[in-house]
Amino acid sequence: MAVDTGLFVAMTLVYLVLIIGLGYLGYRRTKENDDYMVAGRKIHPVVLALSYGATFISTSAIVGFGGVAAQLGMGMIWLTVLNIGLGIFIAFVFFGKRTRRIGHRLRAVTFPDLMGKCYGSPFMQYAAGIVIVLGMPLYTAAILIGGAQFITSTLQIPYTTALLGFAAIVALYVVLGGLIAVMYTDALQGGIMLVGMTILLVLTYVQLGGIVEAHTALAGMSALVPEALAAGGMTGWASMPAFGSSIWLTLVTTLVLGVGIGVLAQPQLVVRFMTVRDSRALNRAVLVGGPFILMMTGVAFTVGALTNVYFYRDQGVIALAAATGGNVDTIIPNFINASMPDLFIVIFMLALLAAAMSTLSSLFHTMGTSLGFDVIRRTGTERATMRPIRLATVAMIAVSIVLAFIMPGSIIARATAMFMGLCASAFLPAYAHAMYSSRPSLKAAKMSLVTGTVAWFAWTAFVHVKESAALGLSNLLFGVPAVLSAPWQDVDPLVIALPLSTAALLVGWVLDRHEVTADTEESAGAA
Amino acid sequence: MFGITDPAIWVGYLLALVFTLACLVYGLLNWNNGVEGEQDGS
Repeated sequence: MAVDTGLFVAMTLVYLVLIIGLGYLGYRRTKENDDYMVAGRKIHPVVLALSYGATFISTSAIVGFGGVAAQLGMGMIWLTVLNIGLGIFIAFVFFGKRTRRIGHRLRAVTFPDLMGKCYGSPFMQYAAGIVIVLGMPLYTAAILIGGAQFITSTLQIPYTTALLGFAAIVALYVVLGGLIAVMYTDALQGGIMLVGMTILLVLTYVQLGGIVEAHTALAGMSALVPEALAAGGMTGWASMPAFGSSIWLTLVTTLVLGVGIGVLAQPQLVVRFMTVRDSRALNRAVLVGGPFILMMTGVAFTVGALTNVYFYRDQGVIALAAATGGNVDTIIPNFINASMPDLFIVIFMLALLAAAMSTLSSLFHTMGTSLGFDVIRRTGTERATMRPIRLATVAMIAVSIVLAFIMPGSIIARATAMFMGLCASAFLPAYAHAMYSSRPSLKAAKMSLVTGTVAWFAWTAFVHVKESAALGLSNLLFGVPAVLSAPWQDVDPLVIALPLSTAALLVGWVLDRHEVTADTEESAGAA
Repeated sequence: MFGITDPAIWVGYLLALVFTLACLVYGLLNWNNGVEGEQDGS
């Protein structure tokens, strides 16, 4: 272990005391349902921006996607472009303000609740809640794995202890303090992440002799691309893969588009728009959110690609060869442990813990409120109280922990992309329709939600070979790992399911308007 | 640009910076807009 244990223990204790203090503050300020679900609708804009950013960016973005950048190169920067352009600017300005205004007017407290109330339909609330309850544990488990892997590699403690301890601390303040505790701790964690990523960028360039020198060295390594990757279309770490090749399709459709677009309809992010008093807070949050995301994913992807220069110079191997057991998720931790001073390893570990905890807390909260408020309540009493929601949160946390033990280790980036793709396919067209139509069509929303979910699942289980081969359904029913051949089996489910979901919404909308027009004419004729 | 020769990469970096700048400018220009009761403009 490269870390000074005394220093690490001291800093971690200070960090945990602050987190528990903020969690306690959230607990004290949580008096009623609105406090637990939407933080009383009076969160400060800077807290909103940092909480949104820290939830958005997990260990998955830093360790998982940073590792992918080490493998596939700087083309990942296009995900940062979408993260800032769509994930912050479009999300806050074009979706956030309307979500806040409509959410306040309808007194919505969760994303499924917002959908249900916008469409006046218990089905929409129930169905959105079910998609979250079934899909989000996959993403949550990936975040748990990422956090536990880093704790294990840095502290050399057993993986099981790391995973359980990590989950227990986050669970404590989420269950007791609700969204106020989640957002207060998120803000502190976002600040730590900003410090950690800034130092990481500066030290990496210093290590490699400067910005231009580092990039030039990386561009000069293209001859070292492994044969298997070169055959898949990879041309180097400072250039895009060959257009249309399987690696290009994975990079562009799964990683850039899947995650970049998926963020617009993430339930745990959408609910944050409803936590502020007015649109001024959202305007101010944009100013903080853009630079924050640049310093998160922009730095992770750049440093990830540049680890190739470091490992080649110091160990004579590319980053992929320096990964433990070929697992790309270990590249960034290995780079930090090998190249950075002790003090920074501790700071970066805290930043990674913070990144994992902030995302994890939000996912725990969203899953718990979806199960306890949107799904169970619909089959029980109309008025929900905090107790069943807290119990539901504990249940969803337990499910996620079990999944984390079952899922493979090298799953962080893929599980993130899968969840984001599912959210976009299932929710985005219906969510946009609800926000931008004065009389949103329930038929259109139902058709879109069902089509998007089914299409995403079908493509994932039977065509997109990276998932279909692992799931085994295609093999069981048709005797092949994927029912379509290349290039289709490299195309991400989102690229198919989102257009279908959008088309279903448009068809449903036209049918609905046609029926209304026909009814009106019939009434006029009868009169 | 800065040692990166493939335009498909450096244009990505340039756009990431442009969008960040857009967030900063938007936030500053609308710093006091959007108080409850006013029109949001979106």
